[in-house]
Amino acid sequence: MSIEIKDIHFNYGKIKALSGIDINLEEDAVGLLGPNGAGKSTLLRILLGFLTPNKGEGKVLGYDIKLQQMRVRRYVGYMPEDDCFIPGMDAVSFTSYLGELSGMPRQEAMKRAHEVLFYVGLEEGRYRQLETYSVGMKQRLKLAQALVHDPKLLFLDEPTSSLDPQGRKEILELIKDISSKKDIQVLISSHLLSDIEFICSYVLILNKGQLAAQGEISKLKEIKYSLYEIKIKGDAQGFFQKLKRIGCEIENKEDKLLKVYMPPGKSPQEIFRIALEEKIQIRHFIKSQTSLEDFFAKVVGVD
Amino acid sequence: MTIREKGYSHWDGELSEKKFPWWPITRFGIKLTFKKKFFKIFFFSSLIPALVYLAGVYISERLEDFHFMIRKPEQFIQINPGYFKSYFTGDFLLFMMVMIIVFCGAGLISDDIKHNSLQLYFSRPLKKSQYLLGKASVIFFFLFLVTLVPGLIIFIMKLIFSGSFKFFISYPWLPLSIIGYSLLLTGFFSIYALFLSSLSKNSRYVAILIFSIYFFSNILYEIFSEVFKNQHFALLSLKANLQQLGAAFFNQNLPYKTSWYFSFLIIFSFSMLAVIYLKKKVKGVVIIK
Repeated sequence: MSIEIKDIHFNYGKIKALSGIDINLEEDAVGLLGPNGAGKSTLLRILLGFLTPNKGEGKVLGYDIKLQQMRVRRYVGYMPEDDCFIPGMDAVSFTSYLGELSGMPRQEAMKRAHEVLFYVGLEEGRYRQLETYSVGMKQRLKLAQALVHDPKLLFLDEPTSSLDPQGRKEILELIKDISSKKDIQVLISSHLLSDIEFICSYVLILNKGQLAAQGEISKLKEIKYSLYEIKIKGDAQGFFQKLKRIGCEIENKEDKLLKVYMPPGKSPQEIFRIALEEKIQIRHFIKSQTSLEDFFAKVVGVD
Repeated sequence: MTIREKGYSHWDGELSEKKFPWWPITRFGIKLTFKKKFFKIFFFSSLIPALVYLAGVYISERLEDFHFMIRKPEQFIQINPGYFKSYFTGDFLLFMMVMIIVFCGAGLISDDIKHNSLQLYFSRPLKKSQYLLGKASVIFFFLFLVTLVPGLIIFIMKLIFSGSFKFFISYPWLPLSIIGYSLLLTGFFSIYALFLSSLSKNSRYVAILIFSIYFFSNILYEIFSEVFKNQHFALLSLKANLQQLGAAFFNQNLPYKTSWYFSFLIIFSFSMLAVIYLKKKVKGVVIIK
């Protein structure tokens, strides 16, 4: 993907937003995952040159993020998270206007605006004033403006936020189509794991401004731990303590369901042994499928 | 609504660095302003003084034709730098300029802040100064049409109607004064409008601010000068300062008993502070601390 950053630090006043981020990406579609406030949008804004890091350096498409921001922005498409448009315009003029600002000739920008609006499914509403657009249409429009100048790299910040299930599915399909068939690399930031799993093969997980994990999703999902779902009856305190002592992590779910992450090399029989010692009844025991969600929960920490 | 009826295809052109990357911003701003209700009425009304002054030039050269209408023709219309000064610093023209910037300037930045569109601009290869220049050029366009263009036309018409270069030889600096004062008026009003436009998300509040600061500063001057019988309070008034500078530009007697240096200092300082504020305020990301 041609994103290479080294030891990036960024603070909002006294608050540390990013701390020591090192990334080197070459994949077609990369997910930037993390809970709210993890630093995902900040990282995207640093890559675009909106924010200057307090420390560290980086390159996007071979251009320095501190010194060559204009070049980065020329070849990168950005779909912001916020609802944003320019009042007084219809979709065609909006998209071609932003194409022109990217460096396209006027006629070409206009022609291209029609093409991308067709592509994102806004062909019928392209002459409507943007003020009358629904949330779903605005999301598509944001994608169209990010694509109009045919970028080499696309930054998508929470592209499915505020969408209904059908709209979300359609936007995700579009993004998957772009990243898999159109030779445009995509960096998608989201806190929705399913979105990332649907589109990306590679993921970066940010937590509290730090890179908690990164790698191919298929490998991250490989069982480096075993996951069991159990329900118990009895005093759980001692049971939990002993499980933690052998390296397990426990997550409380709804309906008194517990998710127990067992470290490699430990047998599930340990759970039964400890339960026996603590006089706990195990009423439900299932070896669970590990998903990205489980990995994410484990990496960002479980309350 | 089906998606991808037409597939995505790559654009085979080359993205280039444009000479005037801010021009699309200006073009769109001008187009949008002309769409506004009542703007055309105000704009064309602001050209009335230009037509009147142009007619004055014509009449001054054809006094014999109008002899029967005028008692003392030699005192009737004197075309000199004072004539141009009175055109540029006339209350009506200044009022119309304020009305024009209310229409075309109030929403220039405030609408972008309101609709989060600054990040769309700055995710493009566009510098902050280019964005501001694009926005300011919208105001430049309209104000030049009521200052610089009529000023130069009146000057050229004077030469054409008189059929000689005598007027130009007498006042060779006058075209420069017309250009210089038009630039000052336009530059100041552009910065004034952009600065106020960046203060609020609501363009209506901005419009009220543009209008009220200009007029209240003058009311304040009139109150203080009446109470204290001191004309130095003219420095409080934007209009008085602009008129004072107009007189200085056209080498005429100053209308207020203060030095034009102070007026220049006030207008210049205000403009500089506004530019510094604009550079800080306008950015792709709003950081909420």
